[in-house]
Amino acid sequence: MPTDSMNELTFPAVAAGAAISAGPSEIACEVMNLFDQFRNPLLRYALSFGIPVHDAEEIVQEVFLSLFQHLQLRRSRKNLRGWIFRVAHNLALKQRYANQKMLGRTANECMAAQNQMDPSPNAEEQFSSAQRRERLLAVVYALPATEQSCLRLRAEGLHYREIAGVLGISLGAVSMALTRSLARLIRADGR
Amino acid sequence: MKLGDKNMRSDDLHLSDSHLSNEQLLLAADGELPARQAAEAQAHLAACWDCRARMAEIEGTITGFARAHRQTLDPQLPPIAGPRARLRAELAGLASIAEISPWRTLLQFASSRLTAWQFSSAARAAAFAGLALLTALGVGRVLSRHSSPHAANSTSVAFERGAVPDRSLTPGATRRVTIGDVCSMPHEEVVGEVSTALRQQVFREYGIVDGRSNDYEIDYLIAPGLGGTEDIHNLWPEPYLSPTWNAHVKDALEEHLHEMVCAGTVDLSTAQRDIATNWIAAYKKYFHTDRPLALSSGLI
Repeated sequence: MPTDSMNELTFPAVAAGAAISAGPSEIACEVMNLFDQFRNPLLRYALSFGIPVHDAEEIVQEVFLSLFQHLQLRRSRKNLRGWIFRVAHNLALKQRYANQKMLGRTANECMAAQNQMDPSPNAEEQFSSAQRRERLLAVVYALPATEQSCLRLRAEGLHYREIAGVLGISLGAVSMALTRSLARLIRADGR
Repeated sequence: MKLGDKNMRSDDLHLSDSHLSNEQLLLAADGELPARQAAEAQAHLAACWDCRARMAEIEGTITGFARAHRQTLDPQLPPIAGPRARLRAELAGLASIAEISPWRTLLQFASSRLTAWQFSSAARAAAFAGLALLTALGVGRVLSRHSSPHAANSTSVAFERGAVPDRSLTPGATRRVTIGDVCSMPHEEVVGEVSTALRQQVFREYGIVDGRSNDYEIDYLIAPGLGGTEDIHNLWPEPYLSPTWNAHVKDALEEHLHEMVCAGTVDLSTAQRDIATNWIAAYKKYFHTDRPLALSSGLI
């Protein structure tokens, strides 16, 4: 069962005590361990903003270089996972805005592009399963941005407190967003 | 607001008081209820088929979404090995500098971070180019003894005696200008002559005796065309005779940056910072080359 310590999620490689005297090489090592752990979840999250893979990968690199700086400055090690996702979230928003501005695309066009990137169902997959996936994703894409982010961050394993920190919303708002979006998904699922 | 409070009910869902709301079910499933409420929820679920059925429905939809999320995005993920190697190299560079001087690392980091972000196509080059800043910071000799082969290679290419100014003497200085100000006239017309008194002051600062002063041009670190001022902090003796990275090459960079700023492809502040941080690294970044272009074509 969760307690308040959820908010202070730490990782074996970055235990608070060990970090106080950590030198730059140790910090770089810690950052690499976190990269191994979170690169794919972060990349998925960045991609869900509809930005190209190349840009998403740059964002992930940027996140971990910022993390190095964060740890070098001996800033808080509490909830590093939440911190990492928050930086990625902000960079992804910025990148999406820049891309849209550059290409003159609207959010809807980006979303359509993302839909087109969806891989077609492979031969072994049941047709009904692929249909279900498309149906669920269509609902997700139609959700407000915050609700989409809540769902995707939760899917990447973040606790509600961490999601609240990433998106800058209250704990209650996370809970409500997830409940509301799941209710919509359930309705679509039941059709 | 605390999780599990009754005032958190969803408008979409209306449930009788005796059953758990969908929100409570989700909180219970996600392990987000306080211990006492979680125990109550478990007890209710054990007794109530209706709530268990709804719980199963929620779990089923979560499974469906989680699978769709992964199946859509996972095929787009490139292998981790390349990005991992790149990050490792960049961190090794930053860590080796930080071993020498922590605050300088952060200064250097801020520079590479900004450039990597704004010029994603040149991000890799920009981050590595940050190492060349070491020469400007006067720590190149220390680093060359360091174990990092990456650092040694980068600095040896970039470093020529006097090619970049002593950053403690010449950090760069700018005046308050707008894009309109710097773009209202051609770059070459903005550059003025440095007064004799100031030239001598710069030579004295750098310990250059009169007899050798003809070997140098007193140059603006941040060109006037980019908002640089005629200030001793923005002037340094640039050797005419540097075989590779000399005043002519820097002039080409200044002109190029001026054009880019006026075309709106680079922020004025970014151009100023990049040229002040390490103009050789800036040249490599903006011309996408490791050596002066004119040198390659035999013009210098």
